[in-house]
Amino acid sequence: MSTERLPLRVWLLMLPLLIVMLTVIGWPLIDTIRLSFSDARLVGTGGHFVGLHNFTKMLSNSYFHSAFFTTLKFSLWSVTLELVIGVLVALLLNQKFHGRTLLRALLILPWALPTVVNATLWRLIYNPEYGALNAALTQLGFLDSYRSWLGEPGTALTALIVADVWKNFPLVALIALAALQAIPNDIRAAAISDGANVWRRFRHVTLPYLLGPLMVALVLRTIEAFKVFDLIWIMTRGGPANSTRSLSILVYQEAFAFQRAGSGASLALMITLMITVLAVAYLFIMRRLAGEGR
Amino acid sequence: MSTLELHGIRKSYGALETLKGIDLDLQNGEFLVLLGASGCGKSTLLNMISGLSEPTAGEIILDGRTLNGVHPKDRDIAMVFQSYALYPNLTVARNIGFGLEMRNVDLTTRKKAVAEAAEMLQISHLLDRKPGDLSGGQRQRVAIGRAMVRKPKLFLFDEPLSNLDAKLRMEMRSELKRLHQMLGVTVVYVTHDQIEAMTLATRIAVMNGGQIEQLGTPAEIYNRPTSRFVAEFMGAPPMNILPTSAVAGGLRLGTTKTVWRCHHPASEIVVGIRPEALKTKTIAGGLRLSGRVELIELTGPEQIVSLALDGASITASLPAEEELRLGQALDLYVDTERLSAFDAETGLRVEITSEHPKA
Repeated sequence: MSTERLPLRVWLLMLPLLIVMLTVIGWPLIDTIRLSFSDARLVGTGGHFVGLHNFTKMLSNSYFHSAFFTTLKFSLWSVTLELVIGVLVALLLNQKFHGRTLLRALLILPWALPTVVNATLWRLIYNPEYGALNAALTQLGFLDSYRSWLGEPGTALTALIVADVWKNFPLVALIALAALQAIPNDIRAAAISDGANVWRRFRHVTLPYLLGPLMVALVLRTIEAFKVFDLIWIMTRGGPANSTRSLSILVYQEAFAFQRAGSGASLALMITLMITVLAVAYLFIMRRLAGEGR
Repeated sequence: MSTLELHGIRKSYGALETLKGIDLDLQNGEFLVLLGASGCGKSTLLNMISGLSEPTAGEIILDGRTLNGVHPKDRDIAMVFQSYALYPNLTVARNIGFGLEMRNVDLTTRKKAVAEAAEMLQISHLLDRKPGDLSGGQRQRVAIGRAMVRKPKLFLFDEPLSNLDAKLRMEMRSELKRLHQMLGVTVVYVTHDQIEAMTLATRIAVMNGGQIEQLGTPAEIYNRPTSRFVAEFMGAPPMNILPTSAVAGGLRLGTTKTVWRCHHPASEIVVGIRPEALKTKTIAGGLRLSGRVELIELTGPEQIVSLALDGASITASLPAEEELRLGQALDLYVDTERLSAFDAETGLRVEITSEHPKA
């Protein structure tokens, strides 16, 4: 990359976009930072400067702690499952069999669905009165009576994780499949005649080629999962008994339901900070990958 | 002792038959080159010997053991690939020792074997590097090391030098020849490069359309090609092919006045002349071809001269010292012993004896 100063003409050409971006991203960000140091409410006056009060209050708040751990649990489980299932499905779809093209095309469907549609779909599946999951489990004899999967604190988060995995594993599978197809056939052949069994071929031939692209998928999915809002909002609204309240849901409730704009802003900033850490990790990995691509 | 026998190897993909019955018998220490244009089936044949694919029919026997249906890893065969096929995440040392590691050979034995192979290939200083840090030639040495270290009964090479630049290719060619002479192993080597074939092989199998067109030593293949295909495939610049017509007591070359006095069969004959068999000095009992110099290409040690005959053109490789001008008249001479004759219809070699006027 050249570090030369850009000529004025380039800046002029970018100016309209810069103005738009500063207005819709720059200003709100600055205003959020200002709000986070105030006791402003959603309606009424601008509020007074209260220093770090909002932050210290949130960090010692049990709501914040439980929302943080709920988000962490949701992210860890859904991303892990998406990676494992995604890689397994990619390995399967990389085999030669009849109908492979059709399956590869179908694979993209869940991912292509808008989250709203996916969430509504799973709400129907989990429905305590007429849901398909209840019907299937009862008819197969795994369950005595219908359960309210989204209505019980013990199962609601798991149900959400399943819905998220179903929607997002195809992305991982597609990335992994592309990586698998980039593995030279000669290396596979060499490993076979070197006497490597299936596991060792996966470990020494397949995995090294998968690792880079998978790291990208991992970070992207973690950032997305950490921000999860729409899926939860449509399926459980953070309930029951706040068992599925993620950080984003907490921000929404704080800022809009309880109309505490100040502490809502401080929460939003903290989430932004956490995601920034992940984003930096992502950039770091991308640079390392680019460095290895010789 | 490692001997390889192939009996009636066939391979079909649906209705398409890519190998149409291959028979070969390889002695211990032989360096066999499978030579042919792409699509002639040479790589398919190599893959079947290695076990990466199975023949539709026929038998592969290594040292008296039938290999059909035997897993590649149990065949005692090592293969070197055109793309090197090194494991990118492992060091050079582990790449070389991978086959032993997979066979659960203990670390000390493995290290010793790797060090020996590395020394022989002059890559001892690279053992801790990753393949990504090596040049093409170094990678190919590592790939050869990986094959050597297993001490297989048979080495297979699939166009191993094709990805290297011209200078490196020559170096590695000599290196391979040196290694083969030193280790005395049995090798099957696939290439489309006739120079590689000529320089490396103890025997060459020229393949065409899924069959072996000719099997013989490099000298036999070059000097006594059994078909017009082999004759034209081998040699650069390629062999001159001239049609003939029967005249009283011999064959007239093309539409020239030159007549080859010989006993010839009734069928139509074409005559092949290697460019370097043409000389500017008179040859006793030889033929004379008169024409006009049309084109001169200097290659350094020699000049490639195109000579326009009556209604035909022939190419001659002449020493660079000969002073020639474009458009000048030139007589070229050729020893009849160095002529090849082929049946115009079947393309097969026809032995023709010259008729020398009694002295």
